[in-house]
Amino acid sequence: MRFPKITVLGASLLGCAAFWPVATFAQDEDTFFNLAGRPTLNFYGVPGLIDMPSAEALPDGQVAVAVSNFAGQTRTTLTFQALPRIQASFRYSGIKDAGFSSFDTYRDRSFDVRFLLNRESRYLPAVTVGLQDFAGTGIYAGEFIAATKNFSGDRIPGTIKATVGLGWGRLGSSGGIGSPFGSDRPSFTPGDTGGDFSTDQWFRGEMAPFAGLEWQINDKWGVKAEYSSDAYTLETSNGSFDRESRFNFATEYQVSERLRVGGYYLFGSEFGVNLQMQLHPNRPITNMRVPAPRPYYIRPSRRENPESYTTDWYTSQEGGSVLIRDALIPLLEAEGLTLIEVRTSTSETEVRYTNGRYGATAVSVGRVARVLARLLPDSVETFRIVPVVGNLAQSAVVFRRSDLEALEFSSDAPAALLAVTGFEGAAPTLIGSARNEALYPAYNWSIGPYLKQRYFDANEPVRFDLGVDITASFEPAPGWKLAGRVQHRLTGNLEDSETSGEFLLPRVRSNAAAYDRGGRTTVTNLYLSRQWKISPDVYARVTGGYLERMYGGISGEVLWKPVASRLALGVEANYVKQRAFDDLLGFQDYTVATGHASAYYEFKNGFTGQLDVGRYLAGDVGATVTLEREFSNGWRLGGFFTLTDVSKEEFGVGSFDKGVKLTIPASWFIGRPTKDTRSITVRPFERDGGARLSTPGRLYEQVRSGHRAGLVGNWSGVWE
Amino acid sequence: MINVVRRLTGAVLVSSLLLGCSYSSRNDEQPSSVDQLRAVGAQILSSRRAGPPAKTEVTADILSKITVPVVQINPEVFGGSDFLTRATSRRDSGLGTVEVWNSTDNAQIILRNGVLVGTRGIGSDIIAADADVTIRALQAGATTSGTRRYTISDGDVTTTDYVFSCNVRNMGGERISVANQLFDTRHMREDCVGGPQQAVRLSNDYWVQPGSGLVRKSRQWVSPSAGFFEIIVIRN
Repeated sequence: MRFPKITVLGASLLGCAAFWPVATFAQDEDTFFNLAGRPTLNFYGVPGLIDMPSAEALPDGQVAVAVSNFAGQTRTTLTFQALPRIQASFRYSGIKDAGFSSFDTYRDRSFDVRFLLNRESRYLPAVTVGLQDFAGTGIYAGEFIAATKNFSGDRIPGTIKATVGLGWGRLGSSGGIGSPFGSDRPSFTPGDTGGDFSTDQWFRGEMAPFAGLEWQINDKWGVKAEYSSDAYTLETSNGSFDRESRFNFATEYQVSERLRVGGYYLFGSEFGVNLQMQLHPNRPITNMRVPAPRPYYIRPSRRENPESYTTDWYTSQEGGSVLIRDALIPLLEAEGLTLIEVRTSTSETEVRYTNGRYGATAVSVGRVARVLARLLPDSVETFRIVPVVGNLAQSAVVFRRSDLEALEFSSDAPAALLAVTGFEGAAPTLIGSARNEALYPAYNWSIGPYLKQRYFDANEPVRFDLGVDITASFEPAPGWKLAGRVQHRLTGNLEDSETSGEFLLPRVRSNAAAYDRGGRTTVTNLYLSRQWKISPDVYARVTGGYLERMYGGISGEVLWKPVASRLALGVEANYVKQRAFDDLLGFQDYTVATGHASAYYEFKNGFTGQLDVGRYLAGDVGATVTLEREFSNGWRLGGFFTLTDVSKEEFGVGSFDKGVKLTIPASWFIGRPTKDTRSITVRPFERDGGARLSTPGRLYEQVRSGHRAGLVGNWSGVWE
Repeated sequence: MINVVRRLTGAVLVSSLLLGCSYSSRNDEQPSSVDQLRAVGAQILSSRRAGPPAKTEVTADILSKITVPVVQINPEVFGGSDFLTRATSRRDSGLGTVEVWNSTDNAQIILRNGVLVGTRGIGSDIIAADADVTIRALQAGATTSGTRRYTISDGDVTTTDYVFSCNVRNMGGERISVANQLFDTRHMREDCVGGPQQAVRLSNDYWVQPGSGLVRKSRQWVSPSAGFFEIIVIRN
């Protein structure tokens, strides 16, 4: 069978973590996923008309990216339908020659959130209430309530969507009809610290109606017209453009399943473009092809073949284990897995291994089970399969061999096997095992390019450094690791950035630019660590050395995480000293004891929450709340914020630390098993308050991929 | 904006052109994502240029050289043909006989009395399927209705369950030619409705040899992105 891969450009995200248009084959997938009725995006990158919002929600979990431009304004927006009714957006915008700012281009970040009050039904429209730019410095601040209804009939082809709404703030600045909730709305002040929830202005001030129509003529073409309630007061007063009309018009074309482009005529004077992209984390760009496994070896029935169940092969625990170990090592190696140790009795075998290939641990568990069924004498009925990450045995997955044989081709194989599988805590060590003697000492090194990026600072949307990256590690014994990374910068513009403003706190993070300028060759980290298990549910780590680019010192962590528990608890304590700006081996004077108590919880629907309470790098005390939606394939989207005893004024621009995080598994693009992931964190303002140490090898993420929730999320993988 | 795009593009190109290399004393290394990506890109470009490959016709001459059981697969979406050899054949507690067929490129199809109940290694695989209604109908040669269930991989080690209401009917006798041999068969058609919003309709066709009950030829649905496979038993 020949299966050409489906995309080219989508894969380029691997290098730059930016989004690219993606071309796909025309397939009958459309009918399965009902793409035709999907909402289109407006200039703010959210479901809507042209510049005005509509009441539509995206499909649950959908990710949309839009880049729009008109009259010197560029808006880049990432929108995520976090829940069926809740949608959140992060936007980075640039306004050229804005008269109200000292910069050539005024750049700003903003967050939106909207809530679907009513789903569209046969007679009732969808109704949504939304807050636009609710926490930023507020240039786009506006609120709305909108209703949208779809119409289709025999007289005209396609679908017509009609939207009417009421806007406040920016969305109520033209054609106002009164101020029902008070008129005391503060005006936008450039240079305000911002970042705080602007509760005092929501739905205040003048209210104005807006409306529009969208006609989706066929699968490819659509046209839009709208009546805008945005006066563009600031932009027209500085002469960016003349607003001669309230009416806007558009034509849009669906290039591929994921990409849509539009051309626009706005406000009677301007032309604009909008590039819209919609992805769903559950629909990979390239489907993963795991090479097909060998079918299970089926033992003869015991009644007809009692002699095949002999235990003559078993001389002693040691003898049997060594026998199996020697046969197992090459078989696992062929699957990209490494045997650590094995222990067997006549009826039960426990195998501990590391997985260097499969992003989904469940696939590796299935592969080990197939190898065991092929190799082990017929008398062994119980398989205990233990994935291990860095000396931490994650869990014991317990199969009955006869279940695997019986269910392989059953009509409900994944669920049926799950029902008879045990998930147990794995003991810290396997006593009396036969170990793979070739594992230690282990050396690793790699040399390659690195690309360090920073997004959306006040002057440049994207900054990067490009250079050579060398990593090396040495593991003398299980759990011990000496590791380091050296980087040599070849080119880039990170060093040009400068965080400005007053600094009232110790400068624990805000002098990133000084590090960027510090030297071309840097020791990014260099440390010795040891990690081990204290009991089946408790994990520990101690790390010392140059932990990250700005700090060196010592770090210790203990984590409690039972295999099948949604809750995990951890404590981390660090004593660190600030490193010299050249990032070689020297230090500065600043030292701090920092640490946190953490609670982690896996909610239903794939949400994970984390609460960290403790002392931060600047000595401030407070808590960080992180909420992420995690898809079983490894996609994660979420956000976090930190509140400490640092006041808004002391913190400076942004008021408090917050940001959004996005993680995408590389296999989603390339369609081959790999454990690589790409991750970006965007903070609108990184300052010194609420800053955490970034120590390598935190335990929670190492451990959970092999725990029950991580395995069950990819359970079909045991049969792949 | 253009400036940004240009810079990003430049960064991507440079980073993907630079070669990384690594060494590990353990055998857990694999080609870097960058290498894999380049391979994928090359594959796409070559397939774009050539278009989907045409399927192969088996001649009597080729057939005479085949001595082991062989099944021909013609994937409609991906194009081309492959010839699969039997990896195993067994009876389990379900209906009929399960046969696993290996492709030349590390993929498999799994047939239960000729009805597709599984695939591996194609990218959006049937992980498990309940086809009892179809299996019974093909053997009986009579009109039958019932439910078919598929657990299909989304291509990222997660699955979606698809449920279809199906109706299998006898379209009458048909003489078909496989590798220049003629076979008298019963043409059975299975019409199914289901999927998300009950909006998907699909039809599977089977040409069954009376007497042996062998499904000599069929056209069966695999998954949303893999489309239909034509499955022909060349030698059994």
